[in-house]
Amino acid sequence: MVQERRILYEHLDVPNINTFDVYRQHEGYTRFEKAIAEYQPEEIAQMVWDAGLKGRGGAGFSTGEKWSFVPRDIEPRYLCCNADESEPGTFSNRYVLEKNPHLLIEGILICCYAMGIETTYVYIRGEFTLGKKMLDAAIKEAYEQGYLGENVRDTGLNINIYSHPGAGAYICGEETGLIESLEGKRGQPRNKPPFPAVQGVFMKPTVVQNVETLCNLPFIVGNGVEWYTQMGPTYADTRKDPPEPDRNTGTKLYCISGDVNEPGVYELDLGLTCTELIEVAGGLRGEEVKAVIPGGSSAPILTHYELDTRLDFTSLTLAKSMLGSGGIIVMNETRNIVDCLLNIMKFYAHESCGQCTPCRWGTPWVRDIVQRIADGEGRQTTITRPKFGVTESGRWGDTGETEEIYEDLDLLENVANNIANVDTMTWNTICVFGIAVSWPAVSYMRKFRPEFEAAIREGKLVTLPIAEATVPPEENYAYQQRFIPKEFSELQETTED
Amino acid sequence: MAFIKLNDLEIEVEDGTNIVEAAREHGIEVPHYCYHPGLSRPANCRMCLIDVYLRSSEMPERQLATGCTTTVRSAPPDKKLDGKYDIIVRTDSPRVIKAREDILEFLLVHHPLDCPVCDQAGECDLQDFSYRHGHDKSRYIEVKNIPPKKDLGPDVLLYSTRCIVCTRCIRFCDEVSGSGELGLINRGSHDEIDIPRSHEGIPIQLLDNKLAGNVVDICPVGALISKDFLFKSRPWFMEKANSVCSGCSVGCNVTVEYKADGLYRIKPRFHEDINQHWMCDDGRLGYHYVNSDDRLQLPQKRVDGELVTTQWADALAFITENLSEVDAADIVVIGSAQGTNEDNYVLQQFAHDVLKTTQLGLFGQLHGEEHKFPQFTIEADKNPNTAGARTVLGYANGNVVLEGNELWEKVAGAKIVYLVSGVPERSLEDAEREALEKVDFLIVQDVLPSAATELADVVLPGTTFAEKDGTFTNSTGWVQRIRKSIDPPGEAQVDWEITQQLAKRLGGEIDYHFAGEIAIAIAENVPGYGDATHQNIGDTGIKLD
Amino acid sequence: MSDEIIQIETPFQFNEENKREFDELIGRYPVKEAAMLPTLHLAQRQAGYISPAVMKYVAELLELSVMKVKDVVTFYPMFFEEPVGKYVIRVCHTLPCALRDCKVVLEHLKAKLGTDIASETNLAKGTTDDGKFTLMKVECLASCDVAPVIMVNDDLYKNLTPEMVDELLEQLPN
Repeated sequence: MVQERRILYEHLDVPNINTFDVYRQHEGYTRFEKAIAEYQPEEIAQMVWDAGLKGRGGAGFSTGEKWSFVPRDIEPRYLCCNADESEPGTFSNRYVLEKNPHLLIEGILICCYAMGIETTYVYIRGEFTLGKKMLDAAIKEAYEQGYLGENVRDTGLNINIYSHPGAGAYICGEETGLIESLEGKRGQPRNKPPFPAVQGVFMKPTVVQNVETLCNLPFIVGNGVEWYTQMGPTYADTRKDPPEPDRNTGTKLYCISGDVNEPGVYELDLGLTCTELIEVAGGLRGEEVKAVIPGGSSAPILTHYELDTRLDFTSLTLAKSMLGSGGIIVMNETRNIVDCLLNIMKFYAHESCGQCTPCRWGTPWVRDIVQRIADGEGRQTTITRPKFGVTESGRWGDTGETEEIYEDLDLLENVANNIANVDTMTWNTICVFGIAVSWPAVSYMRKFRPEFEAAIREGKLVTLPIAEATVPPEENYAYQQRFIPKEFSELQETTED
Repeated sequence: MAFIKLNDLEIEVEDGTNIVEAAREHGIEVPHYCYHPGLSRPANCRMCLIDVYLRSSEMPERQLATGCTTTVRSAPPDKKLDGKYDIIVRTDSPRVIKAREDILEFLLVHHPLDCPVCDQAGECDLQDFSYRHGHDKSRYIEVKNIPPKKDLGPDVLLYSTRCIVCTRCIRFCDEVSGSGELGLINRGSHDEIDIPRSHEGIPIQLLDNKLAGNVVDICPVGALISKDFLFKSRPWFMEKANSVCSGCSVGCNVTVEYKADGLYRIKPRFHEDINQHWMCDDGRLGYHYVNSDDRLQLPQKRVDGELVTTQWADALAFITENLSEVDAADIVVIGSAQGTNEDNYVLQQFAHDVLKTTQLGLFGQLHGEEHKFPQFTIEADKNPNTAGARTVLGYANGNVVLEGNELWEKVAGAKIVYLVSGVPERSLEDAEREALEKVDFLIVQDVLPSAATELADVVLPGTTFAEKDGTFTNSTGWVQRIRKSIDPPGEAQVDWEITQQLAKRLGGEIDYHFAGEIAIAIAENVPGYGDATHQNIGDTGIKLD
Repeated sequence: MSDEIIQIETPFQFNEENKREFDELIGRYPVKEAAMLPTLHLAQRQAGYISPAVMKYVAELLELSVMKVKDVVTFYPMFFEEPVGKYVIRVCHTLPCALRDCKVVLEHLKAKLGTDIASETNLAKGTTDDGKFTLMKVECLASCDVAPVIMVNDDLYKNLTPEMVDELLEQLPN
């Protein structure tokens, strides 16, 4: 069985690790001291790049690369730590904040040193009252101990950390939504470009990093790049010539919930499979795995056919899903996928910020359609209608062909794809919330279509046996393959993990 | 300058231009709602999505971009596409056309489609773009949101059901008027525009800034409606004339919309250097006196202490009788800052050449307050043509144009005063009243019964800005055209024509046939106005040196 | 148009402690507006909910129009515009909790408190007649491993069953 490798969480359960003294006894702040004693800021940034650290917040963007976009000649620059952990199924940051806040502070210090940043705002979700209390206390201690404030440890560095409470809006976890919210406005995401690295909070260059990402920094600095890169699988990115390594380094705080016996946070090397993770989490609660959501509720669902998918950034991208925030939700054979989708769609309809047209009015529409199907009022008519697409003249219109459709399922897929198209990965919205809506909507419906059809046909929710409910991957791939950009399908694993 | 390829056109545009504007300049429509050239660009309506080619001329970028936020810059030589283009843009690719259809479908899901009773119908972007780019039927069968209709302020109503939450109105109040009364309430599909209210719905602050009416103009749909215009007329039944606001010395460019029975509304017209896209509510709503039932329609003369209506011939004869045999030194002729340059030019010609007096004066609306906004100013001088009238009246040799106390002192000692007013709702201050009371024979030319007409021996019915052609000169030296939209009421006449008739009766040789002719005379004679012929001024005006 | 504008009879003001905290807060940001959320939290803690008087006060403190405050207050579900019970019970009902029977907990709470579930625009609906509790559904509380969870004011309660709910409600002082 796969073993946990506790790095970020190593000292999590040490009594009073939230206090400075105990944290100090467990190598606390030594990595920061090492950073300022042994490395230049640019060297730290290079180390982070070399370590292949990918952002743990959801997008999985290379942290080192992100830092390289920050213009170092514009002052001041800011660091925003994203502790607005709201993705359903994700709860690893909460434990860091509540139990080991000094680790986050050390991570922030290293980032501030590397990027020449003097001010950090930790945007902490409003419901995390305990987490905020613990963090505030730790910040206070760090000030007292001279690790924050003017002239940190006589190095001439000035570093301030302020915690900033959110107020219950999921969208503030989106980096530009977070920035707007931090500026005291509605958390409505901004258009990109310009990206926050260039024009972020208060229109100044801003690094936005998730709690978990920042917590990785002390260990990269403390144990070195080589040590860090040993963890996790590396693939060959054959889009490049010659192929470049596509790395998934480090550990991940996998949050597993739903139908497992021991839900919780498990720190493991990137790249284990769904089946292995369920095993680590005490096994399935129930008979059989029906579905797994691999990266928070926005991620496309995986069926029981796909349980050997590795839970890392690259593999999940190839499986047309994503690792996202690492929130894994497991569903057993008793679960009805229509019902689950309804729950998730209610969440998104409630959390849409309402700024841009497709999301504001499309998301509740999708919810209403799913609600109608779940209520047994889905429209049963199978209608033949003209097929729309790109016509011979090169314009969008009636192609002259016809297709047969289940009216409401077609509508569901179509409306969701009009918010953000999951096949072409293009969105009509300002931020990626759009794709976070249509990804589950379309993937659940396509992969568990029989259950949706049954709900419409029978006029009520019907939970089918797994084999009947799931569309086999062969058929599934028919639609996937149509749209997978060629270069992605050429990615192959090369090295050992 | 940047060289871009827009669909199949190769065009040169200035750096910093966005694609919506660049396309508009070349006759290509990129539909949009939230974008307004005078406001910031949140790109929230997503209507102006376009295909952009940044890295290759073969493959567009994966994501569609919004045209309003895609600005053109000249690229370094090695980054040019096909060796020459700074950017390639397509507004007609299949996926752009599909995206527009999709966005329009979303925009209409909660829309009540109440066009038959909507004031905006006929000038509605939602109608127009749906007509050109939309689906022919709705797939939405769920229940529509029905947010309440709201009263926002003295002149603005919000039909929330029609609102598409483009936030133009909010941005206007934040950026142009700086008053910030408007905002969104709630979240997601429950977003509504509103003024701040208590939870029970009682207003905390009203939308009552002096620029509030502009939010109605910039609303791309029928959500924000002017109470003044509500249910008055279908837009397509009104005629339009390009003119200039007569409310103050800013000289906002406006479009006057009218039917045969009067003016219906006034909307601002873009002028880059004067009013941009805006105008104030004083000007916007200040036209009602033009339609007033009280307008002077026939001349009046004083018989046995009472003013009685009479015919033009009689009134003019009565004046000539009194004017003959009077010493020029006893006559004061007063022009109006509400009158056009043409009116005042003929008036000074009459005074200088016919009456031989050099004693002129300038009358106008009393000064009000100046209002400064972040991007707009309302002037204290409530007359549209103070600068022009002053110059035109006073250019000729020896003419003295008196104003304020000097004028009224002179009036007090005069026997005959010819006061061209045309100033609506003008009260008289004590000094003014006392001076006018002392005059033996007072001729007042005005548009409405006023404090001055009450003292007059003869009242001549003149015309407002809406009933004549001519030019105004604003406080910053812009000479601009006003245009006749409606006929004067009854037998009221254009002011310079009245003056000219008087002159003729007194043997003067003033003989103009239309305002443009006078403008040519002004251009020939008045220093600085050399180019200010109507032809040159056109719709944008010319700036004096 | 009723030109009626609300007259604020009892103006709101921070007490000394909160004023001190606010003064410290405002120094953290280069622009005053950025202190919006922490200031509103502070005000709500003192006043119980964000009344027009509070909005006006916060707007003055941050040098903004009242609408900018109202705008923010209505966007974030954690700010209340009407009075709420002494204990605000937030029941998570997102998928991981739903998979662990949060519905049972919610129904139990409804029956026990004899109240409906508050909606964001109608909190009174979910408030008990004695003003002790306000029951509301919220989205994911980021404690999916210990689902189902509820929050009572600032405290999180985990792995709930109807019996534990009973116990909890009894413990809460009046």
